[in-house]
Amino acid sequence: MSETRSQEVVDRAVTDAVAQVSDMLETVFAAVEEIRGRSQELVARIGGRGRGPVSADLAGLRPLLRARLARDRGLVSGAGFVAAPGLLTDVPAWLEWWQTHADGSVRPMLLDLDPRTSAYSDYTHWDWYALPRDTGERSVSGPYVDYLCSDEYSLTLAAPVLVNGVFAGVAAADVYLRHFEDAVGPALRRIEGAAFLVNPRGRVAASNSATQLAGSLVRDPVAAAARGELRLHPCGAIPLSLVTRPVTGP
Amino acid sequence: MNRLSSAARRAVFAPLDTEARVEAVARRLGDAIVLGLLVDGEQLPGESDLAGQLGVATVTLRESLMALRQQGLVATRRGRGGGTFVRAPADTLNERLTQRLLAHTVEELRDLADHYAAVAGGIARLAAERADSPDLDAPRRSLQDFADAQDPTARARIDGRLHVELAAAAQSARLTREEIRLQTEIGPLLSLPFADDEAHGTADRQHRQLLDAIGAADPARARGVAEEHIHGGVRRLIELRLKGARAS
Repeated sequence: MSETRSQEVVDRAVTDAVAQVSDMLETVFAAVEEIRGRSQELVARIGGRGRGPVSADLAGLRPLLRARLARDRGLVSGAGFVAAPGLLTDVPAWLEWWQTHADGSVRPMLLDLDPRTSAYSDYTHWDWYALPRDTGERSVSGPYVDYLCSDEYSLTLAAPVLVNGVFAGVAAADVYLRHFEDAVGPALRRIEGAAFLVNPRGRVAASNSATQLAGSLVRDPVAAAARGELRLHPCGAIPLSLVTRPVTGP
Repeated sequence: MNRLSSAARRAVFAPLDTEARVEAVARRLGDAIVLGLLVDGEQLPGESDLAGQLGVATVTLRESLMALRQQGLVATRRGRGGGTFVRAPADTLNERLTQRLLAHTVEELRDLADHYAAVAGGIARLAAERADSPDLDAPRRSLQDFADAQDPTARARIDGRLHVELAAAAQSARLTREEIRLQTEIGPLLSLPFADDEAHGTADRQHRQLLDAIGAADPARARGVAEEHIHGGVRRLIELRLKGARAS
């Protein structure tokens, strides 16, 4: 095979892989967007009645959360609305968070958010909360070890919930990395040579190569691409990039 | 052969020992009471709810509660307004922790230290290889919170959080779970040595050395500091245990 032909084959496999990553995570973002819309509507409606929202009001999100976890089983394992501290009038902080468990059941997560008893009561510095709050944009966090909610290596997709222009919390969905690998692994393996997905900080999220596994770090991938050591392929509007090695001449 | 031998397979799928579950539940709830996660006078959920949450049979839970009653950690009142209530007056916390420490043999503590140091050392090595600077924001915050903490219970709690955050920075879900599991075994006891300001100061210095080594991407140095940190902490516990044994 000539070098040009082989480059074309690689390019097609790369195009397919980035399209697949983008399509899959856009599906998850569509669920996040629904949760965001419903949360915003709920909080705004209660405010319209002249009182502040309480944690029990968020029960109104449950049918949607259950339905999305059921539809996206095997991809989305946790979903919900995380209230900004101070939003609810009966509790200082709250996660209306539902998870699919190994036995297939969908249950709410019960978290101790009392700073007197839990060292983990402040969730506002986690990327999945801080990024959408600070940028006003949707975000992909991770891969990271989620020791707060699931103890799983995960990606969390999140979007800010604004009520009358004021930040009220985030809508989010968790994708466990093993499910992400199941979904994108085949497309990565169709690429010839090492290929792996990295987040903007260079953390590998999935890979077709044993030399660069998920969880490892590619320090400063943008600079490495500028030096011609690797090629970065964006995944549409998803903030992950596919990394390949440049095809070297004979 | 890929398949496990049939005897090994039977062992894998054998039901968990009921007695071990009684003990595990009693220990979990007992530690939560000793550490102050469940506070004096707090009512526990009803027996069937609590059994469901813990994933054990109601009879198992009842036996665990019986063990906790014998240790004086809960009291059960019958009739209207009845239920099971936590008994943990704050002024007896130190005494309860000491009783808990005396329930361990020195050999158990030494073995626990070896296991914990292996886990903490592995975490430190991987964190030095894999963590980037933002990954260390949370542990750096905990380092400062630990340095500022005055109360021994708060010191132990923040020390625990710092080590969980480092496990997460190592990008290993298994090691994070193992770190959390080890903390539920030994975490409450670590507040005993943290009552001593000198022990608190030593731990603070080691935390700084550990974060320096991880931040400098120096896996060997990070591992050494982490192992010394755990062994040093448990050595203080063992000294307390030996003193307590002589006094009693």
